[in-house]
Amino acid sequence: MARIHLLPDYLASQIAAGEVVERPASVVKELVENALDAGGREIEIQLEHGGKSRIQVADDGSGMGRDDALLAFDRHATSKILTFDDLERVATLGFRGEALASIASVARVEMTTAEQPGDGHRVSIEGGRVRGVEPYARPRGTTFDVRSLFFNVPARRKFLKSPQTELRRCLEVVQGYALARPDVRFLVLHEGRNLLDVLPAGATGPRERIGQIFGTELAGRLVAIPEVSEAGRGGERISGFLGDPETARGRRQLVFVNRRLLRDRAVLAAFYRAVREEWRSEDFPALFLFLDIPPEDVDVNVHPQKAEVRFRDPGLIDRVYDAFRRGLERARGEEPAPLRPPVSEPYVPFAWQGLGQMTQPEAWRRGATTDLPVQVTGASTSSWSPPERLAAASYAPVERPMVPLSGRHGEARPFRLLGQYKGTLILLEGPDGLYLIDQHVAHERILYERLRRSLLAETTPVQHLLTPLFLEVAPDEHLRLLELAPALDHCGFGLAPLSGNTLGVTAVPAVLGSAEAEALLRTLAHEDHEGAAAEDLRRRILEALAASLACKAAVKMHHPLAPQEMESLVAELFTAEQPYACPHGRPVVLQMSDADLERRFGRR
Amino acid sequence: MEIRLNRKEFLDELSPMQGIVERKTTIPVLSHLLLTAREDKLHLAATDLDVSLTSWCDAEVKREGGIAVQAKKLVEIIRSLTGEEVLLTQEESRELTIRAGRSRFKIHGLSPDDFPTLPAVDDGGNVPIPFADFRRMIGKILFAVSAEESRFQLNGALLKLKAGAVEMVATDGHRLALVESRLEGGTGDDAVLVPRKALQELTRLEGEGKLEYRRGEHHLSFRLGRRELICRILEGTFPDYERVIAKDNDKKLLFERKTLSEAVQRVALLTGDRARAVRLQFAPEQMVISAANPDLGEATEEVGCDYDGPEFKVGINPDYLSHFLSAVDTERIRLELKDENTQCVAYPFEGQDIRYLCVIMPMRI
Ligand SMILES: Nc1ncnc2c1ncn2[C@@H]1O[C@H](COP(=O)(O)OP(=O)(O)OP(=O)(O)O)[C@@H](O)[C@H]1O
Ligand SMILES: [Mg+2]
Repeated sequence: MARIHLLPDYLASQIAAGEVVERPASVVKELVENALDAGGREIEIQLEHGGKSRIQVADDGSGMGRDDALLAFDRHATSKILTFDDLERVATLGFRGEALASIASVARVEMTTAEQPGDGHRVSIEGGRVRGVEPYARPRGTTFDVRSLFFNVPARRKFLKSPQTELRRCLEVVQGYALARPDVRFLVLHEGRNLLDVLPAGATGPRERIGQIFGTELAGRLVAIPEVSEAGRGGERISGFLGDPETARGRRQLVFVNRRLLRDRAVLAAFYRAVREEWRSEDFPALFLFLDIPPEDVDVNVHPQKAEVRFRDPGLIDRVYDAFRRGLERARGEEPAPLRPPVSEPYVPFAWQGLGQMTQPEAWRRGATTDLPVQVTGASTSSWSPPERLAAASYAPVERPMVPLSGRHGEARPFRLLGQYKGTLILLEGPDGLYLIDQHVAHERILYERLRRSLLAETTPVQHLLTPLFLEVAPDEHLRLLELAPALDHCGFGLAPLSGNTLGVTAVPAVLGSAEAEALLRTLAHEDHEGAAAEDLRRRILEALAASLACKAAVKMHHPLAPQEMESLVAELFTAEQPYACPHGRPVVLQMSDADLERRFGRR
Repeated sequence: MEIRLNRKEFLDELSPMQGIVERKTTIPVLSHLLLTAREDKLHLAATDLDVSLTSWCDAEVKREGGIAVQAKKLVEIIRSLTGEEVLLTQEESRELTIRAGRSRFKIHGLSPDDFPTLPAVDDGGNVPIPFADFRRMIGKILFAVSAEESRFQLNGALLKLKAGAVEMVATDGHRLALVESRLEGGTGDDAVLVPRKALQELTRLEGEGKLEYRRGEHHLSFRLGRRELICRILEGTFPDYERVIAKDNDKKLLFERKTLSEAVQRVALLTGDRARAVRLQFAPEQMVISAANPDLGEATEEVGCDYDGPEFKVGINPDYLSHFLSAVDTERIRLELKDENTQCVAYPFEGQDIRYLCVIMPMRI
C-alpha cells in the first residue's frame, strides 16, 4: 500500500503559513510592509484583543484593480519580482508573494481596495478560499481586515500569549517601521484606544521620529553618526544616531538594513566591540543605525520572516565598525566614560589598566614590541582617561609578617603585606608573585556581597510619593511595564498609567533616589521578562541596588589605610564569592607573576 | 584705587558675601570678590553665576579703581586685623595692598574685566516684605526643598504673593511644607520659583526693616538696605500642591511638640541608614513609635496624645517628622491622618501664620 500521498491543498498552505504567520504581530508586519510597498503615506492599524480577534491595516497607497485583487491571495503571486535576477536585488519589503496567501489560509480576511477613488472592490476570503467579490466605493488605497486568526488551527491559537503581550509585540513591529520611515504617518488603535500616532516627521526626519516614539529627552541625547562618502561602495550609506553614556539605561539598540528592522548579530557585535574599545565601557548607549546598501549587495531571502539578512560584501562590517567608532567618539562628549573593562578572564596577567597614566621607560616600550606579554591599554592608546588618577603621594612602607589567607575553597596561601601604594593600591607579596589590589574596588566587592545578603533578607520599606514621578517611555515599553506592574509592586514600585506614553511612578523602594528608581525602571522596560517570577525581579532590583550602595560606601582612592585594615580587607576579599571583579565588572586584583618579573629583568 | 574705610563696617559687608562664593569652582574668578571704589563708596560684589550679592560701604576715596580678589583670604585678613581703619591701595592693576596699624598685606588679584557682569533687575515696582517675617518663613519650608538634581524644578521653593499675604511652598516629592503669612498692603498675584541657594543666603542677610522684592524677566532681586541679592528664576512647573494637601483626614491627634520630637529622634536611632522608617501605632490617648532593623535591633517608645479614635498604624520616615518638629514654633502640634496609604498632614497648634503645614507621604513597611 502506498504510504506517501500528496497533502491536500489547504493543509499544505497552512504548513507554509506557519513559516510566515506565527502570531498577530507577524500579520501586522506583512500588512504594514505591503502598505509601505504600495507607497502608502498614512497607515492606520486597528487591533482588537491584542490582534487575536481582529487586525485591520489601512493604507492610502496605490490600491489594486479587480484582477490583481483576486490574484494577490494566490501563493507566489507578486507584482514585485519577475525574474531570478530581480531576486538578486530586491528593493521592496515583500518579494515572495506568500504573505497574503498565508494569512488568508489561517484567518477570515476581507479586503477593500481602489486604484481610483470611488472605483473599488471588496474581496472576502475564508480559510484560503474566495467567498465573494463585489464593487465597493472607497478612497484610493487598500484596507485589510483580518479576523479570528488561527480559527482553523487550534494548536497555533493555543500558543498565543495574553492579549497584552501580543499587543506589545504588534506595537514593536509598527514602531520599527515608524522609525525606519519617518516620512510616513502611523497610527495604532487598540479597541479604540490610541497607542501610537506619529505624524510625518519634518526636516529633521529620523531624529524627530525617534523623539516622537521614545520621547524628546532621548532624542536630545543623540548625536549623528558622522558619514563618510568615499570609504563605502557606490550607493552605500551608513547613517544614524548614537546616544551619550546616559542613554545606556534604556538598552535601545536598533539596526535597520534598507529600512527593515533586523537583529543582525554581526552588526551588533561590531557595536559592542566599538563601545568597549572607544569608551572602555560595558554600558552600551542607544543606537539607531540605518544601513542603506544597494539591494544586490544584501541577501534578504534567508529567513522566512526576513528577520535576518546576509551581506555580500565582507568589508561592510568593518566600515560599520569604523562609523561606530567615529560616532562614539563624538557621543562621549567631554565626560570620560566610566572605567569598565570587560571581564572575560578574572586573572589579568601583568596588565596595567586601572593604574592611570603609566610613564613607560623607553626600554620597556621597545621590549613590549618584541616577545613580552605586555598589554598596555588605557591611557596610552586613546584619549580616554580613568576617572581618577593616582596622586603623587607617597607609599607607606610597612614591615609585616606573613599572613596565611585562606580562600573560599579552603586553600591557604601565605601572603605578606608590603604596603599601600599612593593611598590607592594594596601591595602583597604572594607565593608566586606580586599582587596589586585596588582598595576601593575590593571594598566595594565586599560591601556588595554583604549588602546583597542583608537586602535580600529584609523587607524593604516603600516610600509613597506625594506627586508621581513621570516616566516617558516608548509605547511598547509602556505596555511591558504595565505587564510587570504586579511584580514591580512586590518590589516596592507603584505604577499608574497616565496620558499617552507617560507612566506615573507613585511609590518607590525607600532605599532608592528618584533618579536611581527611574534608571531601574527604564532598564526593566526594555528587557524581556516573560515568565520571570516576581521574586527573580526583586532579586535583580536589589542586586542593582546593592551595587550602587556599595560603590558609594566603599573606601575611596587616596585614602591611607592602617596595616591591620589592609590585612582584614584582603582577608575578607579572599573569602568573597567573587573576589576578582567588582559588581560593575572592574578587576580587583592584578598579579605580576615571578616569571613575568624575571623576564622583564632579563633573567629568563 | 586708594581708599580709607572703617574696618568693622567693611567686615560686616564682607561676611554675607562668603556664602555666595563657590568653594569648589572650576572658574577661578568665581572664588573672588569684586571691589570697586567709586565716588564716596567701596562697592562689593560676589556671584556664582546663579546667585549674586552686592553691597557697599562708605569710604574716603582718593583714587577710584577696581580689582577682583580672592574672597576667603580677603575676609580672613580683614577679620584678623586690628584697628579701626583699613587702607586699600592698588599700586599695580593686579595687586591690592591692605594696610591697618602696623600690618601690610599685598595680595594678588584679577582684573575687574574678568569678573562676570551681574544681571540687573529693573527698578520697576517693588513689594516690601518685613525681613524678619520672610526669614522666619524660609526657615519653615527650607527643609523640604529637594536636593536631588534630577528633579531640578524642585530645587527651590515657590514664592507666591497674594492680596494681603505671602505664601511659600517647598517639596521634594516625599513631603511638602507650606507657610502663608499676612503681608500688610500686599497686593497682586505673582508666583515664582526661588532656587535653594538664594533662600539659604537670604536668611543670612542680617538686617532689619523691609526686604524689597522685585521680579525681572529672568531674575529676582531682593534688596535689604544696601545689600541686594539677585538670583536666576528657577524655570519649571511646580506641582499642583493644593491637591496633595489632604482635606478629609478624619483622625486628628494633638501632641506636645517637644515630647514627640525627642521620642521620634530616640527611636530613629535604630533605623538603618539605607531606608529610614518608623512605625506609628495609634490607640486612644497614646501612640507607640517603633523601629526595627535586622542589623541593629528594635526600639519602641510610648508618647501620650490627645486622641480617641480607632486603632491604626502607619509607617513614616522619622527625619521628615523631625524636620517639621524642629521648624515649627508652637508648644503643641496636630497630626491629621486617615489610613496607612494616605498622606499625613502636620500642623502647628495655634500658630501665628495664616497657614503652616507639612504633608508627609507614608511608607509601607
Ligand atoms: N496594501 C496593498 N496595496 C497594493 N497592493 C498590494 C497591497 N498588499 C498586497 N498587494 C499586492 O499583492 C501582492 C501580494 O502580496 P504579498 O504580501 O502576498 O506578497 P509580496 O508582498 O509580493 O511578497 P511577500 O510574501 O514577501 O510579502 C503584492 O505583490 C502586491 O502587488
Ligand atoms: Mg508582502
